[in-house]
Amino acid sequence: MADAGSDSAQDVGSEASTPSSSKRATSLLSVLEISVTEPERRTGVSAINMKETYTVYLVETRITDMKSELLPEIFTDETFSLWRRYSEFELLRNYLCVTYPAVVIPPLPEKKIHMMWQKLSGGEDKFDPDFIERRRAGLESFLLRVAAHSQLSQDKIFHAFLHLVEAWKETVLATGYQNKMDSRLKTLNAQFRLKNPDRRFQDLKNYSSELEANIANLLKIRERLAERLYGIHKIHANYGRVFSEWSGIEKEMGDGLQSAGHFMDVYAASIDSMLEEEDTYADALKEYLYFADALRSICRKQELLQYEVEKLEDKLVYLKAQKQQMEQGVDVKSGFSLKGMTTKLFGADTPEIREKKIQQLEEQTQQTEEQLQAAKWELSTYIDRSLQDVERFKRQKVRDLREIFINYSIMQIKLCKKGVSLWNNTKECFTKM
Amino acid sequence: MADGTDSGFSEGQPSGPGGSSGPISPDLDPLNITTSTVDLEESLDMGAEGDPKAAGDDITVFTQSSLAGLQLDDALASDVHDLFVTVDDPEKHITNMESYITYRVTTKTTRSDYDSHEYVVRRRYQDFLWLRERLEATNPTHLIPPLPEKHSFRRLDRFSPEFLKTRQAALQKFLSRIVDHPTLSFNENLTIFLTAKELASHRKQAQGIMGKMGSSMRSMAAGYMMKNRSPEYATMQEYVNTFGAKMGTIDRINQRLLKEMTDYEQDLREFGPVFTLWSNSETELAPAMLGMAAGVEKCEKALEQQISDQEHVFAPPVKEYILYAEAMKAVLKRRDSIQMEYELTVEELNRKRNDREQLKMSDQSYSLGAFMGKDPEEVRQQKRTKLDAQIEELLKQVEVSNDNVECANADLKADLERWHRNKRRDVKEVFSELCDRNIQYYQECLSAWEETLQEINQKSELETASTLATPTSSCPDTPNLATPTSSVTPPLPATPTKEGTEGGASEGQEETQ
Repeated sequence: MADAGSDSAQDVGSEASTPSSSKRATSLLSVLEISVTEPERRTGVSAINMKETYTVYLVETRITDMKSELLPEIFTDETFSLWRRYSEFELLRNYLCVTYPAVVIPPLPEKKIHMMWQKLSGGEDKFDPDFIERRRAGLESFLLRVAAHSQLSQDKIFHAFLHLVEAWKETVLATGYQNKMDSRLKTLNAQFRLKNPDRRFQDLKNYSSELEANIANLLKIRERLAERLYGIHKIHANYGRVFSEWSGIEKEMGDGLQSAGHFMDVYAASIDSMLEEEDTYADALKEYLYFADALRSICRKQELLQYEVEKLEDKLVYLKAQKQQMEQGVDVKSGFSLKGMTTKLFGADTPEIREKKIQQLEEQTQQTEEQLQAAKWELSTYIDRSLQDVERFKRQKVRDLREIFINYSIMQIKLCKKGVSLWNNTKECFTKM
Repeated sequence: MADGTDSGFSEGQPSGPGGSSGPISPDLDPLNITTSTVDLEESLDMGAEGDPKAAGDDITVFTQSSLAGLQLDDALASDVHDLFVTVDDPEKHITNMESYITYRVTTKTTRSDYDSHEYVVRRRYQDFLWLRERLEATNPTHLIPPLPEKHSFRRLDRFSPEFLKTRQAALQKFLSRIVDHPTLSFNENLTIFLTAKELASHRKQAQGIMGKMGSSMRSMAAGYMMKNRSPEYATMQEYVNTFGAKMGTIDRINQRLLKEMTDYEQDLREFGPVFTLWSNSETELAPAMLGMAAGVEKCEKALEQQISDQEHVFAPPVKEYILYAEAMKAVLKRRDSIQMEYELTVEELNRKRNDREQLKMSDQSYSLGAFMGKDPEEVRQQKRTKLDAQIEELLKQVEVSNDNVECANADLKADLERWHRNKRRDVKEVFSELCDRNIQYYQECLSAWEETLQEINQKSELETASTLATPTSSCPDTPNLATPTSSVTPPLPATPTKEGTEGGASEGQEETQ
């Protein structure tokens, strides 16, 4: 069942989330530095005995406060590093998703980067240095976000990811998280409709769709803009060439044209670094594109739990109705039911049998009521927790997006200043002629 | 006069090898470009200090000195400005046959050969064309300024206000160049053009003569190789060809840029609303997003202006100089044909002289005349007399056409010198303006983004003052997780200007090294 997975999550989570906010502030990051560096290409043999080439990343940790109580036992070395590949990050995230359904799990960088202004200048592949670098930055961001989270940062598997060189994968698989995921997925596929959908989660779902649509739209246009801007600057390199060639046939204007041509070349070249910088902001924004997905899975889980509750409520109503019928000895829906048929064929139940059936129904009702209580409790706990984490996410989002906007504006300012100074230099070349 | 032009061409060449070997930074070629290197360093130093005031002062000094230079140039040109012409007020005429535009041509003058001080006439494009053809026919040795092309160059309707404005400016330029010319401005056809109430009769009258002139010129120039053309003209020819090609390239680059910039502007138009739309679903971030939208919109407006200026202010002079190159090719060809006429005459003269020499030696007993029963000596005498007459006639012709050549050379040299002077001034002006427009565009965008940044920071200071001030620590609520971007650019919302100038300055220093 769907709720089976969240039991352990509640166990783990209850320690971390119940304490007051002062405890939450002291995340793992206050005593531990994490960085992802030195991507390296490796060749190995895959499970199906095929040769495969992949990239590994060095995950480095440095403990800033060895004596801190916050430090999990597994961290024994002040500095530690190990190699992880993308698929291991993926495994970690899948594990976290299943284990902490009430948490907005930070996304990983996408498997393939298909939007790049550089595609004008060069080909792209899995081992393109630029792609690798952007993925590295994304992976680091993921680890930092996990480590900054009050609940996720306490996770043993996460600790092991940072510090366990041997057999980490087996440790993850041993948690049996996959089973939970499978059953969860199964239920997810089933179509269900809620009778009384929770307004808050519906809003959240709508919000995540809007977030996704807005960011996707923004990224699409900004990529077109980047391509155009790239083109505009590069066309100026032609001025550079023409001025230089032209300077050859002019006497008094020769020097001025030559210098002006030089500045045009500089102008054309200046856009490269600018667009590279802009790319990083686009990547940061893209992270939020994928956060939308994480938000949606929070909603889905809530729907699932509520569906569970509603199903049990339905069952209870049904059982109660049955019992009432039995007690009254009347079959309300005699027309088509099997019971109606048997009653007609064999006559009514004897009082003993009826008594026994009523008792059975009572037992079932009792059981269902207990289940319902549990499910309701689970639902309300989940709602509390997830909404709390969504609140945390929203604060983080506001901060991050604002920073992106600020950085973007600063970059634009830089670009403009560069433009002003370059065109001023160029102008001098002409005014001196 | 002639010497000046001469040195202008010959000295232009030595810098050629340096110039044609691709973009060389000033310091790679210290001998040639010492002065400009020094100035470059000065300007970059100023950038490094980040003192906009000093830079501004310097720019004004520059413009002042360049203005002084312009005035000096004008003074040197020593053209007497006693004839002023303006072209304005385009007006559409619709008749049964055709629709056309006329422009008001106003002339003010103190010249005595004009009856009045002021004339106002209306002329259409075809009248200008007539004037230019007449000038070309009556002054074949002069460089006649070009007229704008008959058809609009960029999808513009020929009655659209933008097109009319551009054409009006080009026609004005054409007339100004003629009335400022020491010879052309005294041409009677110009006087007719500027003063005649009605031009049609003059135009009909002239057509016959023009046809003749044109065809004789053309036949003369066809397919001969000059024997004694001075290398000076070969250099000129080469210069004109290259110059025309470069102007053509600049024009094509500009057209491509315009297209790309227009597309960019279209995309910018979509970009702003994205932020506005997004702000609907964000409460806390809405002001920041609206600030972004406003910034993008202002940049879009600045770009729109920039595109329009680049199309209507920068492009026409470039076009004019492309056409000027054609006009120069034509006048060079005419000069060549005048020289050719001279050379052919000299050749003919030499042949006749040769004939006369041979006549002395030759025995006329086998000539046709002798067979006819004439005395060989008499035949010889007759022939000599005939040849002498021819030679005398040719000698006169040679003298005349030699004068023609001298005259053509002098006219051409004077005109080219004028042209070079004008070109230098125009290039300076046109390209400086292009720079100014770019500077203005970037300054407008700069202030737009500074405003946006202020907007974002203002709101964030109100709401989460501590969070942004110290991004890495002391955030009690949630551990601040720096986005990956922060490692690339130090987030300095408080001092963005400082960061910007530093970036710009270091860039500048890189360039000089």
